[in-house]
Amino acid sequence: MLYIHQSTCISPQQTFLDININVLHEPVENKLKVIEPTYEDIPPGILRRMAKAVRIGVGAALPIIKEFSRIDGFIIGTSNAGMEDCIKFLNQIIQYEEGILTPSNFVQSTPNALAGQLGLLTKNKNYNITHVHRGLAFENAIVDAMMMLHEHPENNYLLSAVDETSAYNYNIDRLSGCYKNEIITCEKFYQTNSTGSISGESAVAFLVNGDKTNATAQLLAIHTLHTEDEVLIEKQLSYFMEKNLPARQKIDLLISGENGDNRLLKYYTAVENTLEDNITIARFKHMTGEYATASAFAVWFACQILQTQNIPLHSLKKKSSQSNVKNILVYNNYKGSQHSFILIAKEN
Amino acid sequence: MNKIEQNNFKLSRIVVTGIGVISAIGNTVAENRTALQEGKCGITALSLLSSKYAGIMPFGEIKIPTEELKKRLNATEPGVTRTSLLALHAFNEAINDSKLNSEEITSFDTALIGASTVGGMCLTDELYNDANKKDGGSEYLSSYDCASVNIYLQERYKMNGLVNTINTACSSSANAIMYGSRLIKSGIAKRAIVGGVDSLAKFTINGFNALHILSSDICTPFDEQRKGLNLGEGAAFLILEKEEDAVGKNIYAVVSGYCNSNDSFHPSSLSDEGDGPYLAMKGALKKADLTADKISFINAHGTATENNDAVESTAMLRLFGSVPAFASTKSNIGHTLAAAGAIEAVYSILNLTHQEIYPSLHYKQPIATTGLVPIQTYQKMPLQHVMSNSFGFAGNCSSLIFSTI
Repeated sequence: MLYIHQSTCISPQQTFLDININVLHEPVENKLKVIEPTYEDIPPGILRRMAKAVRIGVGAALPIIKEFSRIDGFIIGTSNAGMEDCIKFLNQIIQYEEGILTPSNFVQSTPNALAGQLGLLTKNKNYNITHVHRGLAFENAIVDAMMMLHEHPENNYLLSAVDETSAYNYNIDRLSGCYKNEIITCEKFYQTNSTGSISGESAVAFLVNGDKTNATAQLLAIHTLHTEDEVLIEKQLSYFMEKNLPARQKIDLLISGENGDNRLLKYYTAVENTLEDNITIARFKHMTGEYATASAFAVWFACQILQTQNIPLHSLKKKSSQSNVKNILVYNNYKGSQHSFILIAKEN
Repeated sequence: MNKIEQNNFKLSRIVVTGIGVISAIGNTVAENRTALQEGKCGITALSLLSSKYAGIMPFGEIKIPTEELKKRLNATEPGVTRTSLLALHAFNEAINDSKLNSEEITSFDTALIGASTVGGMCLTDELYNDANKKDGGSEYLSSYDCASVNIYLQERYKMNGLVNTINTACSSSANAIMYGSRLIKSGIAKRAIVGGVDSLAKFTINGFNALHILSSDICTPFDEQRKGLNLGEGAAFLILEKEEDAVGKNIYAVVSGYCNSNDSFHPSSLSDEGDGPYLAMKGALKKADLTADKISFINAHGTATENNDAVESTAMLRLFGSVPAFASTKSNIGHTLAAAGAIEAVYSILNLTHQEIYPSLHYKQPIATTGLVPIQTYQKMPLQHVMSNSFGFAGNCSSLIFSTI
């Protein structure tokens, strides 16, 4: 269990600083790319050298770092981080036949470059880690943050997730059938009945600690599993809810990671069927696209909804009769084999 | 279930009940121990990996072709990389050593925490083609990332517990050991299979070469004339359990201390003062509730780069004053990156189990500014607590302490 005090998000939608998620920004050629801020707080010399994943990751974290002077560690989840720089360096190796190469792409491409850069910018010598377990990278970062707060209840941690779409990982994922062939819009995102989704990216950061005072939300529990069996997911979800949902309480809102890929719909349907009928269901991947740490956006979205009690109409799949949202379940899966349940509640 | 159980916290000691390792000096724990005792160096000219640097620099290459590994391990599924195969090799040895049965391996409370920095990027040419859309896509489309290794192990063994992959560069698998220990202490897992792997890749060879930290000669850790590191490949896994769950089992050692700290100085080098290494070692001592004088031996990070060995020496002097016996096994196997922390953890456990220390090779004269001299001969020595250091890019520094039971 942990408390979320601040959440920031750089995404393909207007989610950073001046937030407006009622108006949608459309994908271009089936890619949803982040709207980058101006990064006034990052020295230009450093900014120029940063890989995009590092840049948006630092950008998302900066407002929190400025507000909380005492951060006791950086806990990052990312599947690939600097993919663009990684393949740029690889291309140099091939094109120059292992000749004289410049190391900056190599250094920027390592997945721990963001955590390292955050440590460097803040002169922070505390706990610093990068979880890279593909579609459960952010989830493992949450588990880590929960354990850290259990071990050190007085501490503050920056919990963050980032992934970027580069031309290169887009190609790799496209070749493996992750993306749709037909061009789609936000409106038609869930209606195509075809395989694949569209690509996406974001950088999300949270300030988490063990203090309930003035918390935005309480992250009650998390569970992750690797399976392709939707029956096992139903069983695990029932057990998860029974164990973690406080007595006499129910889920008000399911934030579903449905991504328009008809091969994965069975998992989302299984989860919906496991929950009570009278709940609201909201989706978010028409706003972000699909990528390994999309669940971090879902947690940010949950915090927004708990704070504003406003669920954008475009994200509603089903509206229950009861309007007040207190308990939220986030269910996400990545490529049909990595699944997570995250239980978030309004702190009161 | 990933819920922290209050009552299990801090009560139990975490013990090691199984170990497995493959490196340039041996395919098993026993072979590695013999080679360490004999002061064998596995750093040689490349014979398997094709690279422009094959004839120019030596590497800690494991002389088993990838196809041969596939056959030996019965791992003929499409898309399996050399990195996954090396991991599987060490994983198999560790679970057999700990006598874990399939029920235990597939149990919902058995966690798998692995580390890798190379993942499937050992397939440089395939990745280049797939990323640049040269043709219809290779069999490796899902195998390039670091997570692919542990997802392969999870699928092969049908594991149901928590699975994670950590990448903190050269300290990755030290952090995997730390994370696994914490999962057990917090009650999230009953046992954890922890380790790391990296295979040689054109990607890392060219990356480290571009940073001018590869040596064209065999590396000489802690030597005044050191010229840089040699890259190596390998894998190691450890089985961690609570002491009370390991009754009747062979217990190698206790994971008594660990700490992760950031040097926050530079993306690819350590500060002169060595704050990151110093704080990692100091924090591990605190976690183990030990004073510095209780450490009998240090398996140093000792990469043989100009920067690391000077900084690590400074940090050891700062913390210990009188530095305990130390050596770098990178002089035997090269720097195996994300595998280094786990391989050196196995070596530290061998130190404790057999009450012996292995020589640091190729050393001639002390670094002028610090004057520290590593152990240069095999010797028996009473050991109770051994420290193992791993420091990486992005300032990621971690230290572990293993103790006799």
